[in-house]
Formats: sequence, structure tokens, C-alpha cells
Amino acid sequence: MKMQESEINEAFRAEVREWMAQHLTGRFAPLKHASGLGAEGYDAQLAKEWEQELAKGGWTGLGWETLYGGRNVPLAQQVIFHEEYVRCGGPGRIGHIGETLLAPTLMAFGTPEQKQRFLPGILAGTDYWAQGYSEPGAGSDLAGIRTKAHRDAATGEWVINGQKVWTSWAHESEWVFVLARTDEVGASTASPRHAGMVLLLVPIKQAGVEVRPIRQITGTSEFNEVFFDGARTEGALHLGPVGDGWKVAMYLLGCERGASTLGQQAHFRYELDLIIDLARRNGAARDPLIRQRLAKADMGLQTLRAHALRSSDESTPFRVASVSKYAWSNWHRDLGELAMDVLGEQGELVLRDPAFSALQQLWLVSRADTIYAGTNEIQMNLMAERALGMPR
Amino acid sequence: MGPAFPFDEELRTRAIMDLSLNEEQKMIAESAAVFLQEKCSTAQVRKVSETEGGLDRALWQEVLDMGWCSVALPEAAGGMGLGWRELVLLQEQMGYHLACVPFFDAVVAVTPLWQALSQTGQGLGVVERLAASGRICVLGMTVRGELTATATVKLEGDELVLNGQWSQVGSGAHADVFLLPATLPCGSLGLLEVHAKEEGLSVQALTTVDATRSSADVMAVNVRLTGAAVLMHGEALRSLWAQTRNLAAIGLAAEQVGVAERALNLAVEYTKERQQFGKAVGSFQGVKHRAAQMLVKVETARSAVYAAAFIADSADVTSDLSYFAAQARTDATEAALFSTRESIQLHGGVGFTWEFDPHLFFRRAQASSQRMGTVEQWRELVAARLLDESVTEAA
Repeated sequence: MKMQESEINEAFRAEVREWMAQHLTGRFAPLKHASGLGAEGYDAQLAKEWEQELAKGGWTGLGWETLYGGRNVPLAQQVIFHEEYVRCGGPGRIGHIGETLLAPTLMAFGTPEQKQRFLPGILAGTDYWAQGYSEPGAGSDLAGIRTKAHRDAATGEWVINGQKVWTSWAHESEWVFVLARTDEVGASTASPRHAGMVLLLVPIKQAGVEVRPIRQITGTSEFNEVFFDGARTEGALHLGPVGDGWKVAMYLLGCERGASTLGQQAHFRYELDLIIDLARRNGAARDPLIRQRLAKADMGLQTLRAHALRSSDESTPFRVASVSKYAWSNWHRDLGELAMDVLGEQGELVLRDPAFSALQQLWLVSRADTIYAGTNEIQMNLMAERALGMPR
Repeated sequence: MGPAFPFDEELRTRAIMDLSLNEEQKMIAESAAVFLQEKCSTAQVRKVSETEGGLDRALWQEVLDMGWCSVALPEAAGGMGLGWRELVLLQEQMGYHLACVPFFDAVVAVTPLWQALSQTGQGLGVVERLAASGRICVLGMTVRGELTATATVKLEGDELVLNGQWSQVGSGAHADVFLLPATLPCGSLGLLEVHAKEEGLSVQALTTVDATRSSADVMAVNVRLTGAAVLMHGEALRSLWAQTRNLAAIGLAAEQVGVAERALNLAVEYTKERQQFGKAVGSFQGVKHRAAQMLVKVETARSAVYAAAFIADSADVTSDLSYFAAQARTDATEAALFSTRESIQLHGGVGFTWEFDPHLFFRRAQASSQRMGTVEQWRELVAARLLDESVTEAA
């Protein structure tokens, strides 16, 4: 039986490789190995067309139920897809907020009309979503949000006022989901700080919404500030119960794990291979301390993979799953520092060769890893309080 | 062009490993935890360490009776025919409870030898006689897990005459049988079965920093043996040893995960109770964050150990497990060292007392860190293979 299963998996792996070889070529060639927005060769328009190409090939919504147009393939094959995709040079996915965060939340909380309206566009790679959670006064303490939503008595529409920040890809998205405060408490049983919230689905391209890119330490912009000044959305476009938006928002954050994180690790593998290759060429590989760090990094990545496989199952205890974000983000940040030490003397110069500039970008970009999606400090609080039961 | 990678890359980076525990494995782990919880309190561990030289004979007999020592032996040899995934679960519990039985030295480290011997009818007889007998059989390897060739065997008539010394043999003070490496008259390395009571063999028990475990220097002066004492030699022994080092390192890593987890749990329990400034010290972020870092190391090391055990069970016997052994061993060693050090720190003043338990685990973590190769040695092994070997193109 094992044999049979592995044969099916290998056939699937071959299918992914063959499709990638045939399609990530020609006009899509510049996207090869591009990590995402701001990276060399990453043209957002082209990346969207690439998502549509993937959709035509049946590679989006792999784990979705067939009811929603997905392929419902087993976890092992989702792992294979995400890993082979990156090995074949597949670029960073521009649609991941829609596909891996919003879609499962829509499936869990959306009305039939919402599912029908939004899932097909996410699956086809035609609609892109941004996440409107953080605010200038609400980072780690997300419950401190102040953006307000109320209903227009005349039209029944939602009217939104406030500001969001760190909104990835808002300038390339059609929609944003916005966590806002409302006076309607509904049937919420949440604590006072968490009650009276609503998660709204809001079109970005309208007069009441202004998107301003933030220039990051990399010099490029993925993140934005988004201002809502009387922005509007339809009265039926709240996701889940009004007043219980916090619960829906938390469910969405919980979707960020599983097979897709293995794709991220396959990209880490690519970065580490660049560093190993450089160390072999420039002599850093002869330094005994650099050798120890490279071996440690290589084995550390395999441990992250083993841990992701061990915790990909939904029945994984929180204790096991809770360490993942801290583990991968700190591994990756260390890798950025190692990249610079392997670059050595050259590292102080702005380098034009893409093979080198990618390593400098890694050094800078990886500083964000231990900050977004729960800082190291918040992650450690969660582990201590919820996994180890230490007092608040 | 990417770097050459001489390890089996398919195995290393593509194996879809199911690391969840099946029902039987859960049962093994849970029953071991319940049993050792009852039999192996730290009070009992202290008593055995102080008065029995680190061997709890009653416990060893019960461990034998439950069949734990034959979990990974083939059914033909009276074993359960299970594998490394099950052995590592038992090892974790052995570490967690600091069980004073030679489970690593006399079970885990010799399992590859018993498995190899079980392949032949003659070898099967040896396994039945030694492995299934309950006698404590230990390998005369160095602390770092090597077989030395300095001892010699001379042929006198039909008899073999063994002379040599083996230092710091793990669990040596309690061994009934030693499996000792020596250079045979033909020049190849052999592994010899030598009973502790054999005339000319002297065993000098050593005092250990980790008193839950014994060690001994062994010396042979004209020990006379028959040809049947040579259990394995030459190429067969060399390849067995390459696998043994890797498998034993994985087994030891599992024990270190257990040690790390216990040190973490002790710290969490203590800091929940201990009050300062009017509240439990476990409510302070500085304390919580340290405990969280311990948890990260424990759980990621456990994943590395389970992955290595999975590969050990599914890979072909000739495949190179050294990468997985290195990964499990370095992660688990660092987890055990970090967790036991920080456990003392988080206990504050009482962490420095003999009375409180953290130092028991601190001692074990340090002692184990030197066995079967250090973190630096395993990393250098991986570094050499990652960085030094030239690309060999298939002809």
C-alpha cells in the first residue's frame, strides 16, 4: 500500500515538473525565482497573468473542496506541489492572501452569495485581496483598532472611516478585508475589548480609499498605508456575524499554516543553495566557523521541514504548532546574517549582480519575518501562556 | 549551478514523512510514561545513584519483562519486529525520567548488531543467547562512538588471546558481557564477546558526574577465548559500525529530547508556584520568554528525531543516514543543554541546591553531549559533504 501511495505521489510530482517546464518559459521567464513584489524581475501585472496561467492548469485551490472548484488533493500532494513549484523556479505567489487566508474563512463563515461571488475570482487569479488589520495604534495589540464602520440609514451600505497600515499589496489588489469597530454588538459573547467588531469586504478602487506605499528598509515597497474616508461597501458584505468580527478575524489568522508554508521553505532552500554556492566559490567555505554555521543552517532547514510535516495535520496539538512561526522566522533571519558574512568584504557595497543583490535583499527582508504576523515577543507570550499554561 | 550534494537528496529533501504516531506507537509512549512515572521518581533515581552505582536492578528486570529490550529485534529472534520509531519513543521516556537502566548502552546501541546477526542462523543463536537473556551486553566503543584497533588478538593453538584496554565504557560497571573491538591476527578489526567474569578481564568502575549512569575502564590481560567469540569482523563490521554510529546517535538524541522536556516542565511548574513581588514569577515576560525558547528547541528537536527515525525505518540498510543522525543529534544536544541550563536559572536560588532536581538533568545533558560525537563534529561532517566534495558527473 505504501508503494502504491508513493507511486501516485511520484506521478503527481512528475506532472508538476512537466507543467512548470512547459509554462514557466517565454514571456513568463523573467519571473523565474523572483521572490515577490520588489524583487528583481517581478512585474506585478505579469505575476497576475502567471496566476491566471496556474489557474488554467488547475494548480490553484489544490486543497479546496471540489464543491468550490478545487481539486481536493491529499495533503502529501499539496506538499509536493508547493515544494516542486519553487524548485522549478516558480515566483512568489501574489494571490496568497486571497487563496490561503480569505478563501477558507469565506468557506467557513460566508453566505452562499458571498462564496459564489468571491471564490471563483480568487481561484481564477483575477481578483486580488489585501488584509486590513493593523493600524498605527494597533499592531501587536490588534484589539486596539479604531477604524469605525456604520450603516448608512438611507442605503443600508457600510460606511468606513479610519486608517490601516502594513497592508501588503494593497496597491495591486481589487479588494481589502477590513476589521472595524461598529456600534452593533449583535449576539456576540466576546469580552468587551473584542465585542462590537465586524469584518468587511471592501472594494479598494473607490473615492473613499487612498493607498500610500511605504518605503521599507529594502528601499522597495510591498506594504502600504490605507486611508478610509467615508469609504463604502454593500450592506451584505460583512463576513460572519456583525459584532463577532474578532472571532472571524482570528479564524482567518489560524489559516496561515499547513502545506503552503512548505512552499516558503522550498524558497528558503533556494536561498541557502545560493549562499553555499557563493561560499564554495569565494573561499568562505574554508573558514571553520562559517562551515559550522552553513551546516547548522542546512540541517536547521531540514528540521523546519520535518516540523512542518509533523504539524500539518489539523489535529496537531497547539503546543507543537505554536513553535513554528518563531522557529522559521528566526532561522530565516539568521540566514540573512550568514549571507552577509559569506559575502564578506563585498557585502558593504551595493552590488549589481542579481546573485549577490538577492543575498543583500535577504539580509534586509528577513528582518520583517520576526515582526509581522505576531512578533517574536508576542509569539513567545502565546507559547508560554497557551502552550505551557504560564500565568498572564 | 547549485552545489553538489552527496547525500541522497531525494531522501533528504523530498521524502513525504508521516510523522504522526499510530495507535500502537501512542500506546507504547503512554504506557512507558505511566510506568516510569510510577517507578522512577527523582527520589528513586537519587537513591539508586547514591547507593546502587546508577543501576536499578528491579527496574531493569521489569523493563526486560515488558519486552522493551526486544522492541526492535526481528520476530525470528523473539523480538517484536518494530523499529526506530518505537525505540525513540521509549528513549524519550527514559530521558524524561532519568531511568537508571542501561537502555541506551545495552539496548539501543547494540540493536543494529543484533539485527545484523539475526540475518544468519549462526548469528541468530548468538542473539538468542545474548540479547534475549537479560544479561547486560555493552559495546567497548569510545565515548565519541568509535571502535579502536589498539587491542590485539594472538592465536595460540586453538585459542585466541586478547590483550588491550577500553576506556570509559558506557554502563561498563554493570555489564555482564562486553563486545570489544580488537585487531585480529589476520589484521582486520573484529568484535569479540567477552564475559565480565572471564579470567584476565578487569573492570574498573569510574565515578561519573552523571551518577544515573555508570562507566568503567576495561582491561584484558591474556584473556583466553575460543574462535566463536569473534561475532563479526572486517568489512561486515566496518559497515555495521557506520550504521551503528548513526542509529545510536538518533537513539541518544531521543533521550536528550526527553531530558530537555523534563527540564522545561520542572521550570514551568516551579515558576507557576514561586511568588515574588506579590505574583507568580512565571507571569513575568522575561521568564515566559525563556520557557518559550526552551519549548521551541524541544519541539523542533523532537521533529528532527522523529524524522530521523522515520528515515531509519524506511531507508534501505545501505543508505547513508549520517545527515539525519547529525540533524537529530545536533538539535537534541542543543535543546538538552539549553533547556537544562535555563531550568537551573529559572529556579533561581533553589536551582543551585542539591535538593532540587534541575541539576540531575543538567548533568545528564552535559554527559550525553560528549557521547557519540559532539555537535561540532557532526556539523563538520555535514559541512565537509556540503562544501568540499567536487561535483562528480555520471559517466
